[in-house]
Amino acid sequence: MRLLVVEDEAKTGEYLRKGLEESGFTVDIANNGVDGLHLALEENYDLVVLDVMLPALDGWAVVKRIREKKNIPVLFLTARDHVEDRVRGLELGGDDYLIKPFAFVELLARIRTLLRRGPAREVEKISIGDLEIDVVRRRVKRAGQRVDLTPREFSLLQLLANRHGEVLSRTQIASYVWDMNFDSDTNVVEVAIRRLRAKIDDGHDVKLIHTIRGMGYVLEVGEPG
Amino acid sequence: MSRLSLNARLALLFTFIVTFCLAVVGTILFDALSRQIYAQDDLGIVLSARHLRRLAAEMDDFAAVREHQARLVSLVLGDSALALKVDSSGGMSLIDYDPPHLPIINLTATAQDQRIVTEHLQRWISAGDVPMRGIATLATLRDGSAVKISVARSMRDRALMLEQYRSLIWMTEGSAVLIAIVLSLLLIRRALKPLQNIADSARGITPERLDARIDVKRAPTELHDLALSLNAMLLRLQQGFDRLWQFTTDLAHDLRTPIGNMRGASEVALTRLRSAPEYQALLASNIEECDRVTRMIESVLFLARAESPHFALKRTTFDASEELHRIGEYFEGLAAEGGVDICIRGEARVNAERELFRRAISNLLANALRYTPAGATILIAVTASSEGTSIAVQNAGTGIAPGDVGKIFERFYRADASRTDSGTASGLGLAIVKTIMELHGGRASVRSEVGGLTTFELYFPARG
Repeated sequence: MRLLVVEDEAKTGEYLRKGLEESGFTVDIANNGVDGLHLALEENYDLVVLDVMLPALDGWAVVKRIREKKNIPVLFLTARDHVEDRVRGLELGGDDYLIKPFAFVELLARIRTLLRRGPAREVEKISIGDLEIDVVRRRVKRAGQRVDLTPREFSLLQLLANRHGEVLSRTQIASYVWDMNFDSDTNVVEVAIRRLRAKIDDGHDVKLIHTIRGMGYVLEVGEPG
Repeated sequence: MSRLSLNARLALLFTFIVTFCLAVVGTILFDALSRQIYAQDDLGIVLSARHLRRLAAEMDDFAAVREHQARLVSLVLGDSALALKVDSSGGMSLIDYDPPHLPIINLTATAQDQRIVTEHLQRWISAGDVPMRGIATLATLRDGSAVKISVARSMRDRALMLEQYRSLIWMTEGSAVLIAIVLSLLLIRRALKPLQNIADSARGITPERLDARIDVKRAPTELHDLALSLNAMLLRLQQGFDRLWQFTTDLAHDLRTPIGNMRGASEVALTRLRSAPEYQALLASNIEECDRVTRMIESVLFLARAESPHFALKRTTFDASEELHRIGEYFEGLAAEGGVDICIRGEARVNAERELFRRAISNLLANALRYTPAGATILIAVTASSEGTSIAVQNAGTGIAPGDVGKIFERFYRADASRTDSGTASGLGLAIVKTIMELHGGRASVRSEVGGLTTFELYFPARG
């Protein structure tokens, strides 16, 4: 998968390139709007990550010009989060919008969602290692043993399992599981994960739910990395 | 007109009124005087004509008329502007007395048996533009022959006098108007001096000197209200500035902690070579500090945006109790860890923006969880009336000191200044609650007993 990152801030561009390459993407960087537009039109990319505040040609102008010729997904990055800006970005043909500063795992998740195109197919049964999740009957078994979960614990496990191997940030989890789209200054997610982990992992040698300190949580067989 | 100064406007108006009044008075007086003068002269002419006719009737013939010229002329001698002419019916001049040297024209004569009245007077303009007034009458002498007697008066002296009088009126009025302009300008300037004083005091008020006020006592009664309103406005501005200043200061202080942590920990780590896990721990800690700063920025931006006049609420009416149960569910894990029960009571609908409602309740609940001891219960009660919906969040705990109750909704206010958990609590949670309630036209309040129950209450009006 080839990505184009248009970002004028050198440090930001550098860490985005590094992070995205380590996540398996091929990344090109353009540090101004003119170069970005040129690359986007000349080369074949699967997705463009576009900063709004760019010298010479801003992100809005770039997306407008890209849309005249091509239909590749565009993800906006911006430090401004006025609703009007968001609306404008999406109206001009942006596909998603992320406000700086953002969690890198969140950017990854958004990029993956855009590349997947369309909602993920709802699976009926998930099995990871010796963990089995029956999505339809909402039942969970670990090593053949039935585990009782509250409805919210089940939603949390389902989210982690659906995206297993992918690090999910606290805000992402709060938003998906409880529909809480703001930070409430509490460690609610941490506590919920701790309680879920007690039910899923306690008494088993192979741990499934891992904390990636500072980033979030991941469900994976074996050590994450 | 709108561009003219108040001074000029008032002076113009005043001058106009003075000019108008003087013109009316002058015209009326002038008119009365000229009427009076003409009436007297007219009467003189008429009386002379009457006497002359009576005198002529006593004379025998034309010769007698000529003979008694002096007697007849004596009747008009008193006024040098009067002229007298007596002609025979055949057109022969019998007497022609004309001191003003303005010949009398041929006037229409009043019949000998008709009473002479002022209405019979005739006017004409003689050579040299001299206005004339005169009257003529027929008279029958004793021998039966008829004579025509004409009496006329040159009005030159009267016209001159009235002309002088008119000039005098114009000059007097002109001077009076000039005096009025000067005086009105002086008086108005003097009367408007207090306004100038207010402007002068206002000029001295700058963001650095917002405590200055306009001296209300020195302002005249009419300007009291203005001065008071301006002072009230200044007070509001000053409070706004103070709040902003305090806010900026607090924000800077609060940003110092996480940035200091990041810098300090990174510097210490760099002083010598560390193991990979140590670096990982440092980076993770830095991310946590970054999250803290991000949260703070997000809260501050939320507050700033909520205060912008362009902020639009997306209100809907929804089931408050259902939403409360969802929020309760969100916090249930955290509560269970702390050994606290969350109990939700009541059924009601509420009119609010759902996302903001959630945020306000969550902030209250997060706050309550922070202070509720293990084993206690947080009670959330919702009640509705026709005017609106109230949500009370009650918990036992240490309570809030009476001196702090009023300040608890202020930004960055923390009941315990030395609290070290500012990593999780930004000090903006309750300020956000208050702002959300203000956006909804409702209110947030708190009651607390030290060591007893603390109750936060949110009131959402049914229609904002």
